Amino acid sequence: MEQSAASNAKIEVRNLTKKFGDLLVLDRINFNIKKGELVAIVGPTGCGKTTFLNCMSKLTDTTDGDIFIDGVPADPVKHNLAFVFQEPTALPWRTVAQNVVYGMEVKGVPEKERAERLEYILNLVGLKDTADLYPNQVSASMMQRIAVARAFAVNPDLLLMDEPYGQLDVKLRFYLEDELVKLWQTLNSTVLFITHNIEEAVYVAERILVLTPKPTKVRAEVIVDLPRPRNFLDPRFVEIRRQVTELIRWW
Amino acid sequence: MSKSTHDVSNEVVVRTIVRKRLTLRSLVREEKFLYVVSLVVFFTIWHLAATRGNGDSALVTPWATLQGLYDMMSSPLGGETLVGHTWNSLRRVLIGFSIAVCFGIPLGLLLGISETASAILRPLVDVFRPMPPLAWISLSILWFGIGEEPKIFIIFLASFIPSVLNAYNGVRLIEPELYDVVRVMGGSRWDEIKQVVVPASMPAISAGLQLSITSAWMGVLAAELVSSNSGLGYIIILGMQNSDPQMVLGGMVMIAAVAWVLTASMEKIDMMLCPWRREIKGL
Repeated sequence: MEQSAASNAKIEVRNLTKKFGDLLVLDRINFNIKKGELVAIVGPTGCGKTTFLNCMSKLTDTTDGDIFIDGVPADPVKHNLAFVFQEPTALPWRTVAQNVVYGMEVKGVPEKERAERLEYILNLVGLKDTADLYPNQVSASMMQRIAVARAFAVNPDLLLMDEPYGQLDVKLRFYLEDELVKLWQTLNSTVLFITHNIEEAVYVAERILVLTPKPTKVRAEVIVDLPRPRNFLDPRFVEIRRQVTELIRWW
Repeated sequence: MSKSTHDVSNEVVVRTIVRKRLTLRSLVREEKFLYVVSLVVFFTIWHLAATRGNGDSALVTPWATLQGLYDMMSSPLGGETLVGHTWNSLRRVLIGFSIAVCFGIPLGLLLGISETASAILRPLVDVFRPMPPLAWISLSILWFGIGEEPKIFIIFLASFIPSVLNAYNGVRLIEPELYDVVRVMGGSRWDEIKQVVVPASMPAISAGLQLSITSAWMGVLAAELVSSNSGLGYIIILGMQNSDPQMVLGGMVMIAAVAWVLTASMEKIDMMLCPWRREIKGL
């Protein structure tokens, strides 16, 4: 284990490298995430954001380097990893409540605790009224809220979100971004949020990592130290958004 | 039109009820009305066709067919009443169909989840798939004699292939992201099969059951037409040998009635297997 014991980071990404044949997609990516931090990752189209998340979640093997959670190489069996995909991934044969509880079932959370946490999360995300409906009976935004609730319900060591609100209209997106921030603040989860929407990144994140085009590296890190709730028209908000935009346009 | 709105999970639900006035135009477009009209026209044409000529027609009226059915229910034919013959056919179907789905569905799922199993077994399935089950009748009599076994074997063949192929296609069409949901949570391969493969392929499996039961019913009749001394196929053959159209049509009506009951039962089973496909009123 090459992990430094002195580090206080919850998540450490060390020399994360991914090649498909000769094509180098991720080139020795390094960064840390503190416990309870919400970090956004932005980058130009096609820079390998989804490959990066797949490596982070261990859905794809890395060519070199690794991800450490509390100093131990990340392992979906040992750690609580959760993923909110771009596409709605509610299991159609389970009701809203059964979908939200699903991760806890896989993780073997005791039944009593499972029921209590389910009740709490359903109330927190406002899905209580639709708990007994099937996913094909709820709207697209509710489908994504099911996935978000399912992910937060397992108290994840690391929650990965892959442009979860990319397919929703602006009004719903604003609403769900506020909901995400509320969940994150309430549950003190560690979140890595990928988006191509710079405004969204500045609105939700405490820190933004800007990626380069392929072969992808971390180009820059931008701290977003704005008070919450954030205002899109705040001059500092506009300035950070401009700064991130310039970093992406740099290439 | 009445309209009401309320919130569910912070989303507005609008509920409207449109009341239509009953006019001749709306009646003509009403589905249930057209359903009744269609049946009335069919039975009228049947009746007219049967009563044309001097009464020596090979077609009997719908009413005479019903009377024939009643007679067959009360007086035995070849040692059995109509109910006994119907049960004989149905029993063969249920045995052959049950054996077929017990082997067919697991085989289809296995072909879907294992590339190795697919590589070994798919060519065999592809060889047998286009072969009509009726082509096996002669061989099955040679192998099993003229008892129950050849009929059950034909029914098995008729319902086996739809069960296999639908289960297989059900697995192949599963969205890959659904597997990722299990994998990223640390679920095992067994979790994937239990939590994704089986439920996600259930609609296709259920559709396969409906196809299988229809094929099984066709298979039993064909087998009974060729060689049997009981069952609905036997009644039709007996009616043909006695030049008794009442018996033939009675047998056909019973076949249609049982097929309808089987289809309706399979639809009920489909709702039990895939409850998430049901709609809830108001949302």
